[in-house]
Amino acid sequence: MLNELLSIGKAAKLLGVSIDTLRRWDSAGRLTSVRSGPRGHRFYRQSDIDKYLQEIDGIARNWVEAIHPLEPKSDVYSQTRDIFQSRLEQFQSNLSHIASLDAVSLITAVSGEIGNNSFDHNLGNWPDIPGIYFSYAIRNRKVVLADRGQGILTTLKRVRTELTSSSEALKVAFTETVSGRYPESRGNGLKFVRSIIVNNPFSLYFQTGDAELYLKYGDNDIVIQQTKTFVRGCLAIIGFEELL
Amino acid sequence: MIIQLKKFGITLISRPSGKEAWLAFQPVLNQIQQEEKIIVDFDGVAVLTPSWADEFLTPLRKKFKEKVELFHINNPSVKATLDILKKQ
Repeated sequence: MLNELLSIGKAAKLLGVSIDTLRRWDSAGRLTSVRSGPRGHRFYRQSDIDKYLQEIDGIARNWVEAIHPLEPKSDVYSQTRDIFQSRLEQFQSNLSHIASLDAVSLITAVSGEIGNNSFDHNLGNWPDIPGIYFSYAIRNRKVVLADRGQGILTTLKRVRTELTSSSEALKVAFTETVSGRYPESRGNGLKFVRSIIVNNPFSLYFQTGDAELYLKYGDNDIVIQQTKTFVRGCLAIIGFEELL
Repeated sequence: MIIQLKKFGITLISRPSGKEAWLAFQPVLNQIQQEEKIIVDFDGVAVLTPSWADEFLTPLRKKFKEKVELFHINNPSVKATLDILKKQ
């Protein structure tokens, strides 16, 4: 059944995006359709959809970049902190089948800190869809977390009014300890994340607004780059490729 | 007295759950004798983050200062968390 053709409506449902989005992706070559029938309607190969669904970071990115987002599919959507906690514990348990207790502890801590940061800084202030996207592909050694919150610039600007860009804010978040006193935000969580990533065989991609960074084992410096795409909130991809 | 952290859970991650642990433990802490040591035992904790610790350990240390002692801190996320809290 791998080459079964699906209607655009069915494909949209499976991917959790709108039909218009699929048409745009088709034009952009992001996920191409097969034209069939007298009117040249779009159809999708089941195998292409399956492959796309495995690209968990692609789905997360689409969601945080979308102008008219839908709620993510329920299995990757943690609307509240309680749901996130229970899914994180499930992840922790799954990961323990392939990794040492030490590695499980660190990867779960990094994921938990990033995910909870999203809730800490956006509670009561979510611009559109509350909660986070949390997904993992243990086979691909990858965890993806994303939120459509206010982003680091907005939350840090409350205590560091001189900040003007996402790049500056991202740098501060990863390098300086900003007082954790309420309502000041973004305390030491991302410094903790950084220290674990650079001292272990892990990697981290992080984007907020139009600023991104990539960190890996042994890195001393934080290098922020400007992106062409704009992420509403935050997108984090944790890699542990070298774990085994 | 000994506080066994695993009794609050073994995956200690969020701020609200750290805060809840701190509030729930107040009646016990209020009964502590003046010279009594407070041993925080991390045995059995699988995952700890600064968010949780900041809501429980930070106020505990602030209140009881050098009377607080930490035991079984070998878990790597516990170590990393304590290192970060030290730098605050």
